[in-house]
Amino acid sequence: MAYELGVEYLKVWQPNGFPSPINIAKTLEILLVDHTLGIAVLTSITRLAIGYGISLVLGFLFALIMLRFKALQENLSPLLLGLQTLPNVCWVPLAVLWFGLRESTIIFVVVIGSTFAITLAVESGVKNVKSIYLRAAQTMGAKGLKTYQNVALPAALPEIINGMKQGWAFAWRGLISGEMLMQVKGLGEILIVGKEKADINQIIAIMVVIIVLGLMVNKLVFERVEANIRYRWGLD
Amino acid sequence: MSLILDGVGKRFITKHRVVHTLENVTLKINQGEFLCLLGPSGCGKSTLLNIAAGLEKPTTGKVYFKEKEITEAGPDRAVMFQEAALFPWLNVIDNVEFAMRMSGMPKKERKEKALQVLKMVHLTEFQDSFIHELSGGMRQRVALARALTMDADLLLMDEPFAALDSQTKNILQMELQQIWWDTKKTIIFVTHDVKEAVLLADRVIVMAANPGRIKKEIKIQLARPRCLESLDTAYVEAQIMRELKNEVEKVAKAEYDSDWDLEKDTILLGPDHYLGIGL
Ligand SMILES: Nc1ncnc2c1ncn2[C@@H]1O[C@H](COP(=O)(O)OP(=O)(O)OP(=O)(O)O)[C@@H](O)[C@H]1O
Ligand SMILES: [Mg+2]
Repeated sequence: MAYELGVEYLKVWQPNGFPSPINIAKTLEILLVDHTLGIAVLTSITRLAIGYGISLVLGFLFALIMLRFKALQENLSPLLLGLQTLPNVCWVPLAVLWFGLRESTIIFVVVIGSTFAITLAVESGVKNVKSIYLRAAQTMGAKGLKTYQNVALPAALPEIINGMKQGWAFAWRGLISGEMLMQVKGLGEILIVGKEKADINQIIAIMVVIIVLGLMVNKLVFERVEANIRYRWGLD
Repeated sequence: MSLILDGVGKRFITKHRVVHTLENVTLKINQGEFLCLLGPSGCGKSTLLNIAAGLEKPTTGKVYFKEKEITEAGPDRAVMFQEAALFPWLNVIDNVEFAMRMSGMPKKERKEKALQVLKMVHLTEFQDSFIHELSGGMRQRVALARALTMDADLLLMDEPFAALDSQTKNILQMELQQIWWDTKKTIIFVTHDVKEAVLLADRVIVMAANPGRIKKEIKIQLARPRCLESLDTAYVEAQIMRELKNEVEKVAKAEYDSDWDLEKDTILLGPDHYLGIGL
């Protein structure tokens, strides 16, 4: 309704620059029926899962190393903050040079985008843990890695989850920009094809798919974990 | 001899100043003794307890526990902090099991023992609650239960009941007295409540501030179990109060004549000035 009002009566939007929801739905249906969308979503999500998984492992590992060695922390923190301001796309040319036009290139772009967000969140989360928790744990015989596993990380979890969410968003961005620039199968590729065909419906349809997927993961994973933390800590 | 403090002194050096928190504190605590540290706010009670726990290092002097010098915190000395210091990400029973998990005790045994101590503090019903769902008194009881699971011979308690209403406080004092009686632990209990000290202690160490030091040592030789309402307890309490008052006057006179610097003066005029002079 609002759309029709805008396009047909007020003439504020051009039909080919701002397509109708019905056409978008139609395009989605076509993409679904010929399996392009299904395959693209699957490949993209697989890449994302691998990339994000690696980011989680590396992110935590870097953070723990930085926490262990104070000198590293002082020198690396500003560097990581700087790297964070760099959009993921900037890594694509470098990644292509390093890895060539391969699957690992996109994974690399995903990983490099989200790892640092996680590292920074884990590091600052652990540093901000109330010292009384650590002291209490010490008097109960917690030492070294056990302290991290049982006290520092759980205590920092609220902050860490935020970093993981941020990392997830960065991972998506890295994924789509990588796929767009490298033209390998995936959601990003369909976007580019849409652009080349000047098919605005296709472009918007894919954007909608990306948003919906992002929201779904947020709802199913992060919000649940967060709700659980809020419940345990009594933050509601 | 359980714990020995030998000429312990502590200075904190911060950006703005050097704080002389403890000076030459020498104290011997017997196995199974219930010792109360009594003193005004800021006289270094918590610092002394942290040193005994191994969480803080003395600047001078040495601390021995069972003939061994203390170098770090460890599960052989259980600590109950001024705030409950329970973990909000764990429920009650997991909090109570924490120390046992750290020592690698198997799950089943752990749970059994946790339930047993939760029973001692009457909290079995709340084993699945999270910490924010408990009242302040219940939190202190969980903290006490957690400390009891460690089977440490020495229990260090830093004003554990200070923030509670008097009824809850009294119930917990009675429970603690009973638990101490049953377990024969050595307990060092910090308080600034004379009543509490008389009720619980075999010996009361009265501390003074600036710098923190031992001012007086009083043995409480009343039969147990003691209760607040009994005349004996009230009598000894009044006696200590009187002694403290004499002390207050003596010290006040001496200190009035000598040179007081501004900083000490402001502390004396503060809300704690009665205890501050006297102890
Ligand atoms: N980490 C620290 N850094 C600097 N000064 C400290 C530190 N810890 C304690 N102090 C100083 O040592 C003195 C004694 O502190 P402490 O906490 O031991 O007092 P307290 O007797 O436990 O008081 P309260 O009854 O209020 O708990 C205070 O003057 C405080 O400023
Ligand atoms: Mg204190």
